[in-house]
Amino acid sequence: MIRVHQLLSGAGPHDAITTEALAFRALFAAWGWGGADHAYRIAPGLGGGIAPAERLRADPGDVLLLHHSAGWPRLGELLALPNRKLLLYHNVTPPGLLWEHAPVVAAHCAAGREQLAELVAAVDVAAADSAFNAAELTQLGAERPEVIPLLIALDALGPGRDGSAPDPPAPPTVMFVGRLSPHKGQEPLIRAFAQYRRHRAPEARLSLVGDPISAGYEQFLRRLADTLAPGAVSIESGLPAGELGGRYRAAHVFACLSEHEGFCIPLLEAFHFGVPVIARAAGAVPEVLGDAGILVEDRDPAVIAELLHLVAGDVELRTELRRRAQRRLGRYEPGPIGERLRAAVEATLAA
Amino acid sequence: MTAPEDAVARARAAAAEMRAQGAYADARAAEPAAPATELKLYQWAIVEPDVSWVRSTRRFGAPITALKRLLLRLLVQYHVQLIADQTRFNVTLLGHVQRLEARIAELEARLGEDDESPAGGAR
Repeated sequence: MIRVHQLLSGAGPHDAITTEALAFRALFAAWGWGGADHAYRIAPGLGGGIAPAERLRADPGDVLLLHHSAGWPRLGELLALPNRKLLLYHNVTPPGLLWEHAPVVAAHCAAGREQLAELVAAVDVAAADSAFNAAELTQLGAERPEVIPLLIALDALGPGRDGSAPDPPAPPTVMFVGRLSPHKGQEPLIRAFAQYRRHRAPEARLSLVGDPISAGYEQFLRRLADTLAPGAVSIESGLPAGELGGRYRAAHVFACLSEHEGFCIPLLEAFHFGVPVIARAAGAVPEVLGDAGILVEDRDPAVIAELLHLVAGDVELRTELRRRAQRRLGRYEPGPIGERLRAAVEATLAA
Repeated sequence: MTAPEDAVARARAAAAEMRAQGAYADARAAEPAAPATELKLYQWAIVEPDVSWVRSTRRFGAPITALKRLLLRLLVQYHVQLIADQTRFNVTLLGHVQRLEARIAELEARLGEDDESPAGGAR
């Protein structure tokens, strides 16, 4: 029997990579494969499914699937294990934007970036969840890394938008989902939203959903929102899947001004709920978004505000974006992604 | 209808038109994150934890917050020593890096002078 053990540097209850690892495990079980999943840092509230890395017990013939998204403690020991290894690179946030507000996370990210070359050199097969991430692997010497897009279970958030459903009721609601972190762009979004509200839609609301990278950064965002758009911005963390789905259903525009994305699952979640997307062209965003959203390079809050106004109000534009989004979602069907994963594991075994 | 491909151009034009009418006077892009300055590095080097960061994130976590802060008070002597040791290391290392940078700059300047001299490149 094939046995695959997944290893994560960190795992948490609202973490996309943890969610993917659990989805992979369900696939492995369906294929009759064994193994277990482990992480070096496990956030409180995760529940079961991921065990501490110290409990890893792998026979020499087992495959280790390393999900790389941050620094690994004791990487040398891990790479010295005799097992065949498959690297799945999810990208690592450049630490520069994080030192001010989340120094420990920044340190993990700095280590993760340093360790990538070592990982590429040591594994049998390297893969990435976007072509943007795969390009980094290629630069470090990986040969034709496979792209295995993130496996996402959109239905867990609830049923998608019925094509004939009307827009959500007023007031216009802008939303973004992502960790409350300097690199995710909530600060410029609040600034642009405040302009939109002042000049175009006084009743508009902004819904930010995501776990804070630090208590201090969450306080900073709350203070900024209270100053620029008092009472109009909600910041929520730890929402169960059903409630998150409800936030999408109530939104008119999804706006992502993130500075760095290795994939960006919330874009696909917005597609699922028929929420038109505006996004900064950063990292893998153009690749995931395709022509199904509006890519913007501008940093001028006035331009972003006018885009929000346009997308929130132009019914035909919204309809066209929704049509394209539905088509785009077809690229991320779980079946073909599972097949790519299976092929990558089998290539690792054969390497 | 505005095609998605034309939306940004239309938003730019609308923003320019609004500005011409006096709107968006205070709409300025946030400054991009700059690399840490020397001053900032020294600020980070001196470890000064804020006790208000110590809290419980659980619902009804006030008693746990109080307990955590009590434990900190009981361990204050140990933490003062720990912080002092770490700060000493940080500040000393920063000073060392600064001296190295100054030395490199000095050597680069000298190298530049040598290259400009008639015998430059003959080393």
